[in-house]
Amino acid sequence: MSSSLSSTPRATTWAPQPLRSFLKGGRLVAIVTLLAVAWSAIQAGLFRGDLINVGGWALVRQFFAAALRPELSPDFLLLTLEATLVTFAYAISGLALSLVIGFVGGLLSSEVWWLSRRPHRQSPTATLGSPWLIARSALAVPRAIHEAIWGLFLVRILGLDPLVAILALGLPFGAITAKVFSEILDETPRDALHALLNGGAPPARAMLYGLLPRALPNLTSYSFYRLECAIRSATVLGVIGAGGLGYQILLSLQSLRYQEMWTLMAALLVLSGLTDWLSAHIRHALGAPTRLDVNLGADCAAEAAVRARATSGSRALAVLLAAAAVLTPLSLWYVQPDLGKLFAPRTTMLLGDMLRQMFPPDLSPANVVTLFSLSAQTLAMSVFAIALAGLFGILLAYPAAHPARRARGAMLAYSAVRVFLLFCRAIPAPVWALLILFVMFPGPLPGALAIAVHNLGILGRLIAEAVENADKRPAAALRHAGASSAQAFLYGTLPITLPQSLAYIFYRWEIGMRETVIVGFVGAGGLGRLLTEQLSSFDYGGVTATLIALLILTFIVDLLSTAARRAIR
Amino acid sequence: MFRPSKIGFALALCASAALAACAAPPPAARQAAQPQTFVISAIPDQDPEKLNRLYGKVSDYLKEQLGVQVVYKPVTDYAAVVNAFRTGDVDMVWFGGLTGVQARLQVDGAQAIIQRDIDANFHSVFIANAAAGIQPFDDISGLTALKGRTFTFGSESSTSGRLMPQFFMNKAGVALSDLKGEPGFSGSHDKTIKLVEAGTYEAGVLNEQVWKSRLAAGEVDTNKVIVIWRTPAYYDYHWVVRPDVEQKFGAGFIQRVKQAFLALDAANPAHKEILDLFGAQKFIETKNENYADIEAVARQIGKIK
Repeated sequence: MSSSLSSTPRATTWAPQPLRSFLKGGRLVAIVTLLAVAWSAIQAGLFRGDLINVGGWALVRQFFAAALRPELSPDFLLLTLEATLVTFAYAISGLALSLVIGFVGGLLSSEVWWLSRRPHRQSPTATLGSPWLIARSALAVPRAIHEAIWGLFLVRILGLDPLVAILALGLPFGAITAKVFSEILDETPRDALHALLNGGAPPARAMLYGLLPRALPNLTSYSFYRLECAIRSATVLGVIGAGGLGYQILLSLQSLRYQEMWTLMAALLVLSGLTDWLSAHIRHALGAPTRLDVNLGADCAAEAAVRARATSGSRALAVLLAAAAVLTPLSLWYVQPDLGKLFAPRTTMLLGDMLRQMFPPDLSPANVVTLFSLSAQTLAMSVFAIALAGLFGILLAYPAAHPARRARGAMLAYSAVRVFLLFCRAIPAPVWALLILFVMFPGPLPGALAIAVHNLGILGRLIAEAVENADKRPAAALRHAGASSAQAFLYGTLPITLPQSLAYIFYRWEIGMRETVIVGFVGAGGLGRLLTEQLSSFDYGGVTATLIALLILTFIVDLLSTAARRAIR
Repeated sequence: MFRPSKIGFALALCASAALAACAAPPPAARQAAQPQTFVISAIPDQDPEKLNRLYGKVSDYLKEQLGVQVVYKPVTDYAAVVNAFRTGDVDMVWFGGLTGVQARLQVDGAQAIIQRDIDANFHSVFIANAAAGIQPFDDISGLTALKGRTFTFGSESSTSGRLMPQFFMNKAGVALSDLKGEPGFSGSHDKTIKLVEAGTYEAGVLNEQVWKSRLAAGEVDTNKVIVIWRTPAYYDYHWVVRPDVEQKFGAGFIQRVKQAFLALDAANPAHKEILDLFGAQKFIETKNENYADIEAVARQIGKIK
């Protein structure tokens, strides 16, 4: 917490609480998790022979040697600039669409919206009823499908058009944003809203004046977090053919032109780094410094809202809105989507065609057996990947948290680790997978490692932020009482940050599960690889069956992750 | 607190984005296709910049011969080209044997019209890293030498880099599970050469024409990669055209496209450049029936359901 005053009342009850409940609820989670990780390591093939392809080290050496001599010809730099702009423009356009979907969907799937329309009934379950449930479930499916699969699906009905990338990014992001927005709205204090409703204001207007202003800083803050995700996703969509940096990196990698690749990766680092940095500062200015309040209660959101109102958040908001108003049309103009395609008769025809081919799904016994074994493999990939990412994420997060005292050694470690984490997360998982495939045989393990490296970059920073925002007083108190810095860390810092870190890790498991598909596209095992083979054989009945398996798996992982996060809360 | 410097920074960022956007106009704007443009494409079986050079020249030639706008649209993977052909985003595509069959099965009335002289009699070559110690052989049974070796195909949907080689391997009694580790799918013929040359895989297989052309260009280190076997002949690459081009560009258009390719003459230096890039002496006519065998093999291996 940046302000020690505002967190005073909470610190007394909050600080020991997570540890206590963590130990209580966490024991079961801990045992199950350890068993799952052990199983996943075996499933992913860690102990199978023939893992490392020693023949590939020469290429790895060439790859790193090329880092010293990136391609800097004017032509290529111009191409890099164009590719960077394309990726950025896709991210902005997709994000804009997702925010519209997220805002409308979030409102419709929030409890407070439906409650405020019928304020006299007291029992929420009886009051909320079916429209709320319909809105919630309608958002669950798009959320469970990775952007890349949306892309492959949309390109088949819309053809080769930038519109595909915008929709592929906007639809799943919109559904995710809607979920988080509804949670933010529900967790925003309702006193003002109730006052307005009781005063006779119509529900919509009461929301507009009583609830939205207080939720706005958190909504904006989350939107900026989504911008970081959008840049990463736009890059991945590039890898599957939408153009931009991901596409160019893939082309250079396919032709083994490492010098070009390093130039492109440098551009990606700068774009990603700038976005992360800007997003962090803006969210700080808005008074909502955590990226994701995945495991914090309503009190935190409320507190952030109060704090934000006290600061000059409104000015920041005005500037942000102006920036959005400039950047969105500019991005749309730059990528030039053909909106007419949405309503073209050809689209309807191709959609009908595709649906006819997709049903019935191929549920022949042989295929179901394959799906079961590949589902287990895919699940193992996600568990193993996130376990690795989480372990190294926690280890690296402490040096990656901004040191309290600016000692030179600590600052150096801080910068080095931060750059390393940025590098890990800026490079998309499929590109990591292609690099890892130089030295490993195709299979689930290289895919799991690729997801692990990418998510390590994300988790390391999320946890580092949790460490930065943690209450510093317990550790300080221990230090003053004569504890060594190691003891102060072990008893003062670690217990406060661990539950939050684990919550982030479980949250990233949900994402990691979805990412297994995209590393499968480049040959790294699991259901994703089966999907690639089916798509290239135009076996749409098989594709549908695989998608169903993926959906079920995703829902299971989401449920387990939510349960685990609740248990350690 | 939102300090003025940050507001300034945000504005500067917007401004620089705007400026950069002006400096580099949208890629889409520059190649915006008019409705009456004849759009051609090709499976991405080789290095992308080689394809761009080749099809840039083909587009110019066709434009001059046919009197319509011709644009080459690069696509990133095999299945995507088939799909673009199905949706009508591209009118005519240089397909491989397998992708051509897949595409025709999805577009009623699509025709295989033209191929190179070499495509009626096409071969793949199995190559190996010299250090792997696999000796060249003449009989298909020699493929058993691949057992226990690391091996890479080209793209999943490649006829010469996957379908026919896998067919011949099956015939010789080599299952994919006999290889060391899982087989790789390099993505393109060029990458297969590079991966085998570097020793990432002990052996691999690719299209003979690409192999010959890279040899001639001196791009292969023959001390490191050797050919171990040349497959029997089969039909491969060909141009497939959508039936609706006759509505767009007039009756007889398909015949005119055929004529344009048949007219390519190795004695004409401009023509020779295109023919050389294709690795051909001349183009010849072809027909759908020539690919019945490919279709049968594809069904057997499961690439066509």
